[in-house]
Amino acid sequence: MRLFWEIARRNFRRHLTYRAATIAGLITNFGFGWLRVSVLLALYDDRSVVAGITETDLYGYVALTQAVITYLAMFGWYELMESVHTGEIGADLLKPMSYFQFWLAKDAGRAAVALLLRGVVIMIFFSLVFPLSYPTNLAQWLWLATAVFLSWLVSFTFRFLLNLAAFWSPNARGIIGTGFIFGWFLSGFLMPLRLFPQWVQNIAYLTPFPYTLNLVVEVYLGLLQGPALYQALLTQLVWTVGLAILGQFVLKTAVRRLVILGG
Amino acid sequence: MRHAFDIYRRLVGVQIRSQMQYRASFLLDLVATALTVVVEFGSVALVIQRFGDLQGWQLPEIAFLYGLVEIAFNFMDMLFSGFDPPRFGLTVRQGTFDQLLLRPINITAQVMGSRLVLRRLGRVAFGIAIFAYALSLNDITWTVAKLLYLPVVIASLIAFFGGLFVIGGTITFWTVDSIEVLNMLTYGGSFTMSYPMTIYPNWLRRFFTYIVPAVFLNFYPALYFLDKPDPFDFPAFAPFVAPLVGFAMLWLSLKVWRFGIQHYQSTGS
Repeated sequence: MRLFWEIARRNFRRHLTYRAATIAGLITNFGFGWLRVSVLLALYDDRSVVAGITETDLYGYVALTQAVITYLAMFGWYELMESVHTGEIGADLLKPMSYFQFWLAKDAGRAAVALLLRGVVIMIFFSLVFPLSYPTNLAQWLWLATAVFLSWLVSFTFRFLLNLAAFWSPNARGIIGTGFIFGWFLSGFLMPLRLFPQWVQNIAYLTPFPYTLNLVVEVYLGLLQGPALYQALLTQLVWTVGLAILGQFVLKTAVRRLVILGG
Repeated sequence: MRHAFDIYRRLVGVQIRSQMQYRASFLLDLVATALTVVVEFGSVALVIQRFGDLQGWQLPEIAFLYGLVEIAFNFMDMLFSGFDPPRFGLTVRQGTFDQLLLRPINITAQVMGSRLVLRRLGRVAFGIAIFAYALSLNDITWTVAKLLYLPVVIASLIAFFGGLFVIGGTITFWTVDSIEVLNMLTYGGSFTMSYPMTIYPNWLRRFFTYIVPAVFLNFYPALYFLDKPDPFDFPAFAPFVAPLVGFAMLWLSLKVWRFGIQHYQSTGS
């Protein structure tokens, strides 16, 4: 556990140093947020509620999508793939902790910086300019925190599994990239899932993607209450465990065929 | 000038040959890139279907704007990959740009020819598909003037976006770090132009009318092709200034580029 903490801390500090990139990223996130709000507001035109999402909710939705881009690594995460291709993995496998835990620790540090420097700051930024709504009571804040935490775990276990493609192909980037593109669509990043036709939603909920961003949005906006909320959070946990086990299984096969060239 | 063009042709030839070397990998990349367009436009289309229209614009009309931008932007993105700000910024930082400067060959031709990302054609292809969908479902009354003007509009858009890329690339001479902001200009610009200008807040629309006059490149031409009334009461020639704006942007960007090169100071490491 100490080692886990230490790796997470180091990655936290490493990511903390890219301050200029953070500010530039903020401006871009904010600009795109403005454009996307415009499109959604134009769609609503004079309707006030569609599928339970009110016009004011749209601001919260767009703010959240922009806030979690780096936290959930929506635009892609290839670190593990690169370490396989460069051969760094050789040293990583020798570390006195499981390969999965090692990456979980590294990603925890990265995600914590992303959540604080990008996520929280973007939400504050947006709340200064747009009429955002907030969770109304302490319980909802706590459920939100839980959903945000679990969404990272679902995202990480999925990214870990996807990156293992690097063991089989030197062109894994295309395969992994494709996985992320499906993620944009099915996690509700491009449009809130509730606004899609029912059959699209049905398909989406067969995948882990809605349990990342879309669930965070629904908890934030208070669209999920009572049993539906508990069930959703439980499903997040189930996906995390399921993907982690699958990842372990694939990893075992992968390591067996791994050949590292000396030099 | 002829010499420069010859150099450019050779450099691009090398790029194409090397990218076609790994056929399977290239095809996979092509599909992955094309998938981005399918997913992005697909999600917009599904939601517009549900709502019926976007402030009076039907889905096929939106597809007209969207397809046009998708075709032009990605074709430009392929041609001008050498100037792509994040990439070009990297060559400046790593000093590879200095190597190019040392060669007694036209520098613009070298940068243009240094990178040509063929897989962008996957996106262009889907842009064409979206545009074809728009053409088949919109009831356009075709005239000779419209037929002749369509390729001009596409060329103007390519020139316009190309100008943005060149300016963005030049800025990286001075700002080594904050390149992500430039995405607002390029990707933000193309995103904005994929939808009718009427949906944006006034300040944003003024920005895209008077400072970066993107509104004349596809919104006004679209009004002309689709015979829609002008919501802003501009003079009747507004749909026809696209080539003027597009190529003025490219010309201006080349001036900025020249200025940048003259004042370029290497990191010297």
